[in-house]
Amino acid sequence: MNSENVVVECRQLSRIYEGEGVPVKALDGVDFSVARGDFVSLAGPSGSGKSTLLNVIGGLDQPTSGSVFVDGVDLSTLRQAALADLRLRKIGFVFQSYNLIPVLSAAENVEFIMQLQGVGAAERRRRATDMLDTLGLADLGNRRPGELSGGQQQRVAVARAIVTHPVLLLADEPSANLDSKTTKELLELLRTINRQHGVTIVTATHDQMVMSYAQRQVHLRDGRIESDQRVAAAA
Amino acid sequence: MSMPLPLLVQLSWRNLWRARRRNLILISTIVFAVGAVVLNNALIRGFQYDMRDDAVRNLTGHIKVLAPGYRDDPSIMQSFELGSDWRPDVADSQLMGWTRRVVVPAVVMSERETRGINLVGIDPGDERDISFIGGASIAGEGLKDVGDSRLLMGAELADQLSTKLNRRVVVITQGADGLNREAGFRIAGVFDAEGTALEKAYAFTGRVALQKLLDTNAVTEVSIRLNDAASEPTVGARMTAHFHDLEVKGWRDLEPLAAAMFEFVDVSILIMFVIVMLALAFGLVNTLITAVMERVREFGMLRAIGMRPAQIVAQVLIESSLVMLLGLSIGIMVGLGLTAYFADGIDLSSFAQGMEMVGMRSKLVPRLMMEDVIVVAVISVVLGLLGSAYPAWRAVKVKPLEALRRGT
Repeated sequence: MNSENVVVECRQLSRIYEGEGVPVKALDGVDFSVARGDFVSLAGPSGSGKSTLLNVIGGLDQPTSGSVFVDGVDLSTLRQAALADLRLRKIGFVFQSYNLIPVLSAAENVEFIMQLQGVGAAERRRRATDMLDTLGLADLGNRRPGELSGGQQQRVAVARAIVTHPVLLLADEPSANLDSKTTKELLELLRTINRQHGVTIVTATHDQMVMSYAQRQVHLRDGRIESDQRVAAAA
Repeated sequence: MSMPLPLLVQLSWRNLWRARRRNLILISTIVFAVGAVVLNNALIRGFQYDMRDDAVRNLTGHIKVLAPGYRDDPSIMQSFELGSDWRPDVADSQLMGWTRRVVVPAVVMSERETRGINLVGIDPGDERDISFIGGASIAGEGLKDVGDSRLLMGAELADQLSTKLNRRVVVITQGADGLNREAGFRIAGVFDAEGTALEKAYAFTGRVALQKLLDTNAVTEVSIRLNDAASEPTVGARMTAHFHDLEVKGWRDLEPLAAAMFEFVDVSILIMFVIVMLALAFGLVNTLITAVMERVREFGMLRAIGMRPAQIVAQVLIESSLVMLLGLSIGIMVGLGLTAYFADGIDLSSFAQGMEMVGMRSKLVPRLMMEDVIVVAVISVVLGLLGSAYPAWRAVKVKPLEALRRGT
């Protein structure tokens, strides 16, 4: 694979949690890479290491050994502030529990990362409005997260994650709190983002429906990759 | 990347309203503490400056010129002569007034009692501006001029001597030649001073009349009162240069007890304030920690989406600073309001008898000093920032990953 076309590259990645009692190997020598524009699902039972892998890729967790490159940058060389900047500029996050900022309106949440990036106010507003329009949230821009349904909140979270055109969108159990209809809508949205905007998506999930939208399904078990197959995505 | 301050301020401001009740309680506490401290400082300053002014007005002045041995042996033997055209070389704008006096120990006798006093020969016109006797309320008449050979005595002394207005008393004192002089004085007036100690210690007559009795042209002291106590050192230095063979003393040397109290009040104001604010800072820390811990997940999320640790710290600091600044500004306004409300003074006359004995006034008048208010503001902000440093540190110590897992 040409390195230009690789967004994520993990080499011999291990993550051992030294808790009380026996150390837990959440990741055990994982080699894993993601091509630009891919839509990858990480699946596996609880404790298989899928969330850990996602977090390590996002620079939220540090591997015990091995290395992670995101868009050509070796994460192990970055300090906390630089990691934060990398997440700010290159990675979009969608969380299981939406995690919007409760004191900001939907539109302000979408603008938030652009604000951290230093995008000017007019530009911010325009992009946020466009994005909310695109996601069918045009009328909800002034509402705060508490006034939105779960599905709406997750769409706002997606809008926040992709409005800055990240190279990589990481989604941790994005459908866990959604019903199947809303999940399907969300997945259609992610697929559009993936296909039309070329955003690389990696999602950790238990959900068969989420997996079915991915072009590549990776199964983990006991911290190792059990299977890795390219599939025809659901219609 | 610079700190997106407007964003952080906006977030902090909205977060304040999120925990409305908690922050209102905290702000009220700060308002109460700051308001009380501002009023308290003004009252203590009032007491402090009254005390100093009283000390200065009690025939001391800001600066005194004395013969070298006078303070050890206060008698007419330790005196000096002034040229008739002498006056202090001090700009009128600095000088409130000055006078020369003859102060000698004397024994005063009525038909019934005998008391030891300080007999003071004064220029009644000069004293008006500079000492308590110029403004004291007098039953009967004040002294007319330097030649007035009648006596002005304190109510307390008159009481002790069992004498009263228009009666005669006999005064015995030492003349310039070392021999005793004895003279009869008619009591022209009985004065009422703030403190009974003054009423017991001093009796006044005309300076020239007393000089005649003592057979001298000399005086025992020159007393200078300034408009601003702060100019005392420079004026003092000029006097020292002028009177190189005499002693020139500032009020701090002449009234060491009052001076020590004056300094002590400066320190005690600060100590008391720091104690109050420290207690408050602990409350602030406690509230902020609760606020931070409630939002651990939010901080984790903010980290995850690209907020730097320093920005998280800044956000917590801004949040606590907003609380502190709100509480502080309202508190200062309340304090100023209370001080204005009590501007006429708090009447302590129910305790005043006891206080008069130690020379205190019966009315406590607040004296607002802007530098005290500034100190209150600065220390509050500093303590507030110090107090929020720990919660802020807790907020960034949170690992984004663990934070996000909480409660999911």
